[in-house]
Amino acid sequence: MIRVLFFATFREYTGEKETSANGVTSVEELLRLLGRRYGDAFESHVFEGNTLSSQAILMVNGRHIAHTGGASTPLKEGDTVALFPLLGGG
Amino acid sequence: MNAFGSVLRINLTTGSISREQVNEKTAKEFVGGRGYGTKILYDELPKGTDPLSPENKLLFVNGPLTGQAAPAAGRYMVITKSPLTGTVASSNSGGFWGAELAKAGWFMIILEGKAEKPSYIWIKDDQVEIRDASSLWGLNSHEATDNLLKQVGEPQARVACIGPAGEKGALLAAIMNDKNRAAGRSGVGAVMGSKNLKALVVRGSSRPSPENAGEMQSLLKSSLEKIKANPVTSQGLPAYGTAVLVNILNQLGAYPYKNWASSHMANADLQSGETLAQNFLIKKYACFGCPIGCGRITKVGERHGEGPEYETIFAFGVCCGVEPLEPIIEANYLCNEYGLDTISAGVTLAAAMELYEKGSISKEELEGGPELRFGNGEAITYWTKKMGLLEGFGKKLAQGSWRLCESYGHPEISMSVKKQEMPAYDGRAIQGIGLNYATSNRGGCHVRGYTISPEVLGLPEKLDPVEIENKPLWVKIFQDLTAAIDSSGMCLFTSFALGAEDYAAFLKAATGFDYDADAVLQAGERTWNLERLFNLREGIQPKEDTLPERLLKEPIPDGPSKGMVSRLPEMLPEYYKLRGWSEEGLPTREKLDSLGL
Repeated sequence: MIRVLFFATFREYTGEKETSANGVTSVEELLRLLGRRYGDAFESHVFEGNTLSSQAILMVNGRHIAHTGGASTPLKEGDTVALFPLLGGG
Repeated sequence: MNAFGSVLRINLTTGSISREQVNEKTAKEFVGGRGYGTKILYDELPKGTDPLSPENKLLFVNGPLTGQAAPAAGRYMVITKSPLTGTVASSNSGGFWGAELAKAGWFMIILEGKAEKPSYIWIKDDQVEIRDASSLWGLNSHEATDNLLKQVGEPQARVACIGPAGEKGALLAAIMNDKNRAAGRSGVGAVMGSKNLKALVVRGSSRPSPENAGEMQSLLKSSLEKIKANPVTSQGLPAYGTAVLVNILNQLGAYPYKNWASSHMANADLQSGETLAQNFLIKKYACFGCPIGCGRITKVGERHGEGPEYETIFAFGVCCGVEPLEPIIEANYLCNEYGLDTISAGVTLAAAMELYEKGSISKEELEGGPELRFGNGEAITYWTKKMGLLEGFGKKLAQGSWRLCESYGHPEISMSVKKQEMPAYDGRAIQGIGLNYATSNRGGCHVRGYTISPEVLGLPEKLDPVEIENKPLWVKIFQDLTAAIDSSGMCLFTSFALGAEDYAAFLKAATGFDYDADAVLQAGERTWNLERLFNLREGIQPKEDTLPERLLKEPIPDGPSKGMVSRLPEMLPEYYKLRGWSEEGLPTREKLDSLGL
């Protein structure tokens, strides 16, 4: 099982703080699955056409996927994926 | 030069009040605010001045954009020699006070000497008076503000003041303006208290006039579009405030837990911006001319006030091992009222908790107060109050974590750089921010060079936080640009959407000086080097460009960043080289000549 955590506006798009997924082996597969689960509001914030949105931050086990292979980042049983909108502070 | 207004010099010992003109060369080279103020302090303050003596100078300095038609252009700087660090202190604040000072026609106030009795300064346009504040001494910042507005009979006036912490010399004391906005760091409130100065009350009746008003309006329109198009400034910060960072830093494993014992807290969502918005937020707060509105007006029980920011949640929350927001918010309210820096206050309490749990501080010393144990929410509110009033053990706490820990023979427990407490990002998990802390000219500080933008958020591009390649260059660029923004009068948060060329265009339109992006960055670099020269003259040696041993030698024990330490020693030589400094970290004559210093 892969644990998926939602933060900030992603909680509004999904209506929950976390969920789980099975049978996916990459970040892209996971996001496609979640897109089917949560619909357009979610999907439009993680994809821009066929590529990942530049306005979402995705981490797998605390590592931003920009440094682990992007949408192709492999997933395995027990991983934690965190989804954030692009945000900032100080 | 119309954008600047005049310089107001007040000697509190003699009572003399004089007007001076802004120096055009200095204004052009240092922009204003942080840069111009540092230049005055460097030129006028004798080496070795005791920060809490009448000889220290306390400067309130606007930028040329403060009060102008630019986004979030309501910032002012407080410049002085810090009693906490011994370095230059340069604390930035928003709200409406700085803009009101500009409306009154003043660019800068230079305060000298010490008043014979508690005093406040009343400025109404050209009219400036030093008035008796004996009846206000002891009031908290909210009480004093309400009282002063009645005394001057101008409900629209703006007040910058100190609370009891500043009056009694707490080295963590802030200067508060508009009740809840703070020039928070480096103990500037204690300098004000040492001068027997309770407040500066300002009322102005005209707006500062830019050289090219038409261009200012055009730039305002285009920059507001950029801010609206940027998800950070148009969605994240307005909806959740800076506290939106809690979860992302925790997920990254860079959210310092229990005085940096670890960097991840299982229940961090209990204190997140999302939880704050859902359970405590009444409305958002925006400073002068700000289209973002990151401030939070909150309510807890019967109490309401402003805050907390991300930094405050870190300091009183995760750093003290406290999970729920209620005591954190209450501690924030107390800091606003007593006039304390929330970062240094919270991190000092975390150090005290470690000292207590390790047996250095005895239960008897607490005189019946709540035990200083990690996770004890009652302790953070109780001891914040004692710190703000300098009562009992609060006197020791009010001197900051370094002096507290040093007094028990354990300075290594103080999570500080140059004696100022570090903020809310672990330099072991995010390498660039660690280098920024170590080299900050005012000690531990994130907003000297906020590399969290590229290292965590991916703005303007994504850098790997655990790598060190190119980090010295990014740190230098962010430090220089930030020094320029701090000098302009605009808020640093606009830099999520705007770049150096935007600030240059605004500065050019306001001042008529021929700025471009390179000139703005060079003005920032000039300021950075002059701050460095000030510190060197005061005996702050390059060997202090370091981090607490814990960050250099103790790997993060668990969580997503398990095993990491700061690689500062590998980055520092390249940083010095990029700065044009010697291998020993001293600015070279060649570099100083190139900057006109």
